[in-house]
Amino acid sequence: MNPEEIHQKLQAKFADEIIAVNTDALDPYIQVAPARFLEIATFLCEDPALSFKSLMSLSGMDYGAETELGVVYSLHSLAKKHKITIRINVDRTDAHIPSAETVWRTADWHEREAYDLFGIHFDGHRDLRRILCPEDWEGWPLRKDYIVQEYYHGMRVPYQEDWQKYETFSRNPERGHHVFEFESKVPGLLNGSQENGDDSAGKSEDRTDG
Amino acid sequence: MGNYFNNIFRAISTIAVGMAETWKAMFRPPITLQYPNERWQLPVNARGILFNNVDDCIGCFKCARICPVQCIYIDTVKALPDEDLGKASMGNPIRQHLVRFDIDMFKCCYCDFCTTVCPTECLYMTEEYENGVFSRENGIYHFSKYSPPEAMALRRREQEETMTKALAKEAALAAKKKAAAQKGKETAEA
Amino acid sequence: MFGNLFKKRRYIFEDESTMVFDMDQTAGRYYDEAMKKLEIEAYEGDEMIVNMGPQHPSTHGVLRLELVLDGELVKKVTPYLGYLHRNFEKHAENTSYNEVIPFCDRLDYLASMNQDLAYALAVERLIGLNELPEKVEYARVLCCELNRIASHLVAVGTFGLDVGAFTPFLWAFRDREKILDLLEWLSGARMLYNYIWVGGLARDLPGGWLAKVREFLDYFEPKMVEFNKVLTSNHIFIERTAHVGILDPDVAVSYGCTGPVLRGSGVKFDLRKDEPYSYYDKFEFDVPVGDGQFGPLGSVLDRFVVRIQEITESVKIIRQALDGIEPFTDQDVKQAIPRRIRPAADAEMYVRSETPRGELGFLIRSDGSDVPSRVKARSPCFSNINVVDDLSRGGLLADLVIIIGSLDIVLGCIDR
Repeated sequence: MNPEEIHQKLQAKFADEIIAVNTDALDPYIQVAPARFLEIATFLCEDPALSFKSLMSLSGMDYGAETELGVVYSLHSLAKKHKITIRINVDRTDAHIPSAETVWRTADWHEREAYDLFGIHFDGHRDLRRILCPEDWEGWPLRKDYIVQEYYHGMRVPYQEDWQKYETFSRNPERGHHVFEFESKVPGLLNGSQENGDDSAGKSEDRTDG
Repeated sequence: MGNYFNNIFRAISTIAVGMAETWKAMFRPPITLQYPNERWQLPVNARGILFNNVDDCIGCFKCARICPVQCIYIDTVKALPDEDLGKASMGNPIRQHLVRFDIDMFKCCYCDFCTTVCPTECLYMTEEYENGVFSRENGIYHFSKYSPPEAMALRRREQEETMTKALAKEAALAAKKKAAAQKGKETAEA
Repeated sequence: MFGNLFKKRRYIFEDESTMVFDMDQTAGRYYDEAMKKLEIEAYEGDEMIVNMGPQHPSTHGVLRLELVLDGELVKKVTPYLGYLHRNFEKHAENTSYNEVIPFCDRLDYLASMNQDLAYALAVERLIGLNELPEKVEYARVLCCELNRIASHLVAVGTFGLDVGAFTPFLWAFRDREKILDLLEWLSGARMLYNYIWVGGLARDLPGGWLAKVREFLDYFEPKMVEFNKVLTSNHIFIERTAHVGILDPDVAVSYGCTGPVLRGSGVKFDLRKDEPYSYYDKFEFDVPVGDGQFGPLGSVLDRFVVRIQEITESVKIIRQALDGIEPFTDQDVKQAIPRRIRPAADAEMYVRSETPRGELGFLIRSDGSDVPSRVKARSPCFSNINVVDDLSRGGLLADLVIIIGSLDIVLGCIDR
């Protein structure tokens, strides 16, 4: 079955749900509305002519910091050897999509991953919690407007290259190059919490208390 | 019952076959090496610790830009017009002082991108792979041939240059403005 | 006596195609609920929660499994992932197309060549670069299949270790070492090669390398016979593994299992045959599937035997590729590498290829710049480990270890 036939088949049953279709793209896709997605997914999986038994990939998408989030379902049929891509776009602030976990079991963890990294909520998922990040991580890392949290349980999260600030060079003939030998160490670490070390320590305490 | 004894027989016979193989293996020469004393010979292109031959380095920043983990840090100071820093061995003229060329070997992912883009082939990977050091700072390699005071002097020179240039520009701008104002006045008077 | 232990829970099929999942029986659960259950049922007698991992030798990495045990019986397994999470996808969004390849190496560090090939293929399809020099294609197949053998040797070797056989493990690693030496000669690195680039290879094949590969194959084939004599044909090993961890084909498809895990259940699906990429359509090879000769189909043994047979098939492919590359050894492997990779805006493609662990797919979306807008890696192990709860429920705790071993997971690939 080619993508156009698949589209017609869907069109016959879910005419109102289909928003866009592009059969000339690299991966031909059909964009549907999120509201009745569970029915569409069940139809795609169970219809004997379509028989999309295998969900190759479920991928969260962020189309830009001001636009919508999306989910891309890449489907493949082992029996019929055809493929189609289903796209769903959802609002950034209120991202809710019906879960297809009961249709394809592999969607279980992939939906958890999309929730973890994009903050897309899958309604009806029985176990929707973070899977890769820790449970108490803040924010949705793969969104384009994500800003990494500064402290996690008192540990600094963004990598800080302290060594750039160091000054002492000396020649080390053993290694053949000019190699660091440190005299002034990490500022604020050894000499008590001064300067920039001071406010960071305060912040971390606040975080752990809160 | 027959199945029971059959199982025992098959277990014993297949173990005997396996044991014969392991027995043969006993008389083969060992393939292991006594590591610190004996070592494998590494191939020509083996990836070890990075080394930069600074005499050939022209400070083009290509390696720093392509590094996926950003572990190469370069600072350069432009040479004065009358200064001649010579040429690299492949003929590329050197136009800047390389006041800093640091490689953080702990961040390095040994991907070999930097050595492939290097135009003068001065940056290459050595066969040295034992990179264990007792403190983190010793894993950061400095290749600049300028000592810290020299590098500092060069940097200051560049700073002063830019400052004088900016001052001169400002002065020129002010003079221009003044002249324009003067001219305007004159035309108004006329 | 233990017959009821091995009785697997099956999914209820209303008709041929509908799957209904019982709420209580599926993997969905919360930690709190489990704890509550512990408090209630612990007094009643037998239930116990045991943490296996993250530093457990038989979990093959930093995987943590939370087991609910009733004596020696496994009632529930909850995998907790993320101990090796480094967000490859975010890294990829901040580096240019070529620079993602070193990160791809680190997904499945036992089969880096295959990861590189999967990513390079995805980008090549995205920019429409379909014609590559023959030498590049043959060399890619060569090093991918060599790496597949190395990866499968680790899988079968450590599986032997899981069931308690130590010698095959050492033998497998001895032969793998030879492959790593070959690939080190080729690329300079032992495990994280960064050798397959978009549109070509990082370096030319060194002189005499092809002859050495041939030499290695001649050395290797008798070694596999030895290996099979010691481990695969051992009756005790067969009886230990042939009745454990039964994975039904329909369940495997629904869980998205791929690679030897799917083929072990009797589904003949190999992307090298079914959706040929690179030059795989030019070679003659079989797709081994599990046959359930010694027990039910889809057992741990079937998955193991599929891997053993795949090694033989890979040797076949390498021999053909060695013959095929002969006329093209003068070609330049870097001639087709694009100067600048800049796909059209909004181009999006999902490209998959067969790695030793199954289907690795890259969904790459471009926004028209030098940097990908989104790179999704659909890792095979991520889907394969999902099935561990289904396989081990109702079995013994000792069986769980070999079930994990038979799934052949790599945590770098699961956690990304």
